[in-house]
Amino acid sequence: MAVEGSLRPGGGAAQLALNMKLIAHHELAGFGGVGEGINMQKTKDGRRILWMAHESAPKNFTAVDVTDPRNPKMVVQTDLPHNDVRSNSLDVVGDIMAVAYQTKKWGLKPAGMDLFDISKPEQPKLISHFDTSGPHSRGAHCVFFVDGEYVHLTSGSPDFEPTNPKDDQFYRIIDVRNPSKPTEVGRWWYPGTRKGDSAPPPPRHPKFDGGYRPHNTNVYPQKPDRAYIGYIDGGAWILDISDKSKPKPVGHLTYSPPYNGFTHTVLPLIERGYLIISDECVRDNGEDWPKLTWVVDARVESNLVPIATLPLPPADAFIKRGGRYGSHNLHENLPGPCSFRSETLIFGTFFNGGVRAFDLTNPLQPKEAGYFVPAAPKLAPKGSAQINDVWVDENRIVYAVDRFGGGLYTLETSF
Amino acid sequence: MTLTQTSPGSTRDALAGLIPVSIITGFLGSGKTTLVNRLLKRPEMNRVAVIVNELGEIGIDNDLVEVSSEQMMLLNNGCLCCVLRGDLQETLRDLFIKRRNGEIIDFDRVVIETTGLADPAPVMQTLITDSLLLEQYRLDCVVTLVDAVNAPGQLVQFTEPVKQVALADRLVITKSDLIGEKQLKELIGRLHELNPNAPVKVALNGEIELSFLVDVGLRRSDARLEEVERWLGAEKQDEHGHTHRHDEAVQTFVLRFEKPMSWTAFTQCLDVLTALRGPDLLRVKGLVNVEGKTGPMVVQGVQHLFHPPLELARWPGPDRSTRLVFITRDIPRQTVADLFAAIGAVTAGKSA
Repeated sequence: MAVEGSLRPGGGAAQLALNMKLIAHHELAGFGGVGEGINMQKTKDGRRILWMAHESAPKNFTAVDVTDPRNPKMVVQTDLPHNDVRSNSLDVVGDIMAVAYQTKKWGLKPAGMDLFDISKPEQPKLISHFDTSGPHSRGAHCVFFVDGEYVHLTSGSPDFEPTNPKDDQFYRIIDVRNPSKPTEVGRWWYPGTRKGDSAPPPPRHPKFDGGYRPHNTNVYPQKPDRAYIGYIDGGAWILDISDKSKPKPVGHLTYSPPYNGFTHTVLPLIERGYLIISDECVRDNGEDWPKLTWVVDARVESNLVPIATLPLPPADAFIKRGGRYGSHNLHENLPGPCSFRSETLIFGTFFNGGVRAFDLTNPLQPKEAGYFVPAAPKLAPKGSAQINDVWVDENRIVYAVDRFGGGLYTLETSF
Repeated sequence: MTLTQTSPGSTRDALAGLIPVSIITGFLGSGKTTLVNRLLKRPEMNRVAVIVNELGEIGIDNDLVEVSSEQMMLLNNGCLCCVLRGDLQETLRDLFIKRRNGEIIDFDRVVIETTGLADPAPVMQTLITDSLLLEQYRLDCVVTLVDAVNAPGQLVQFTEPVKQVALADRLVITKSDLIGEKQLKELIGRLHELNPNAPVKVALNGEIELSFLVDVGLRRSDARLEEVERWLGAEKQDEHGHTHRHDEAVQTFVLRFEKPMSWTAFTQCLDVLTALRGPDLLRVKGLVNVEGKTGPMVVQGVQHLFHPPLELARWPGPDRSTRLVFITRDIPRQTVADLFAAIGAVTAGKSA
């Protein structure tokens, strides 16, 4: 009595969930494409505001009041000056928010970083613009700002001419103790990526030339003398930044080739001495599979040893859903009153693989704890959800965002 | 809490994310299929995967079937029926993999219907010891159906029904409309002798409240007192720990130890017991107060096989004594108590 059809109603693009339950969904007024900047503000009047940078123009950033996580309400949504710039990344400390700006082409403006006063979330007020535009610069891709004093920025600069146009951004430490006058206090770049370096330019990835630029540049108050940097095709770096004017490499791990590059986030589990390193899948339909998230033993910083990868469902099962499938962003254990922090539970986003959680009690054998893959959003350009970034609050409510139109998914966990 | 410390609840609960598995057992003709069929029609049970021996056996109304393959069938209330393949491990693993890959429904419960003649012990053992299955599933409940008309004879003639009753967490009497009140009372008494820890209810045409059959096992490691008592089924135990009937082959008793014991001594006791009398140690469950541990260790065994040790987050309630419920075949309480005393793990103390 074989009958045509699927043993799952809704077919190939249906929602999948294990130990994560959708409690709210917000489409962000039809602009549901979010980049990789999410952070939560606790306002002086006790509200909890989730700030999100958009993936691309026309929108800059959106704030949603999630004081009641089951009933998110949009507070503000802002526009970019033109369509050749994207914000992509933001961070919040207290009532100050840093937002990155990256242009599509070299030499355009605005490129760099804005600082906003968000004490009134409905009316973000620009404090200053840190201009990093230049003939060889597209501005800033990523901000990391958690201590209220320094922004760790991935950006180009007017004085930086790369040896390869793809290597136009580098690590910059910006002092924002006076937020009206952000000032660079230190910088570091992959040897050989700047014209005039004594080192030769690094070899390009043979299959997928993603470039030698930092992506995430994470620095934690518990370990203020270390920067953990995902350097795209340059692998993962640990820098000693005890002297911010002279960052010094102390650890480096590279595994591409044979892997397919694009090291994205280096999340340290500081108490335990491990790193969780995610690569970014940047091609549709499994072209650059496998894009993994690595568990790395970093107890000896100068000898980083990969010991496991986070277990993912088989590529065959997800590639056919459409779009990208593979690793991308992690919840980064940020300091701050509203952030979840754990040395054993890791949350990551995997595009059409949704948002997934892992138990690293035994770092040699990470286990899947739960997942949520939304059904394909309306008019999804790739035919599937493309979950781009995740933020977990201190009550373990999970906020996951779609890269294109799906907006914000709020989830409860049961593990 | 400073702004950089780990959050409360920053670890995974070893039990909370596991998919509960219910085993429905009972002798031939005891009404298992009718019960399962009724369960599947309830709105709360709309994401269940039922494992049966043959798809035909479940006797699903064809109107309810939405999609069917050789091995599985999707019902239009969202449930899935699938055939038990070569072994249970393979079927359960296959179900989980297919769920994860998005090939089947996101089932949130599994019901296994055993064949009438089956000994439920191996199924239970698989669920409490297979290391891969333990990552995804937990044994929630063993429900044994008892045919009111035929059970009194079967319990005398055959050993399987006795074992099915002895191993149960819940007993459901079916076809009670075909016997008198006196006979029903006698049957309930008989079941209580065989398994005093398992609550008994009567079901007509498979109708029974769902809460009686689900969420019996421990669902999270910070379980509340009532949850632990519900699982242990020991709340109504004879305070003096007396075995309920001494002429029965099947005996149920509770051992209590007030003082914490070392895990090594405890496992030595169990090792000796299982080595000498494994097949007769029908079921053991309980909480152990282990020296140096914050919460109790949960113990669960079926014959010679035990669930890997699992620590609860905290003691549920003020009683911190070790409580072990034994269901045995011809192993008297005193023998087990003496063994614990002899190994010197504890002084039997108040438990004697």
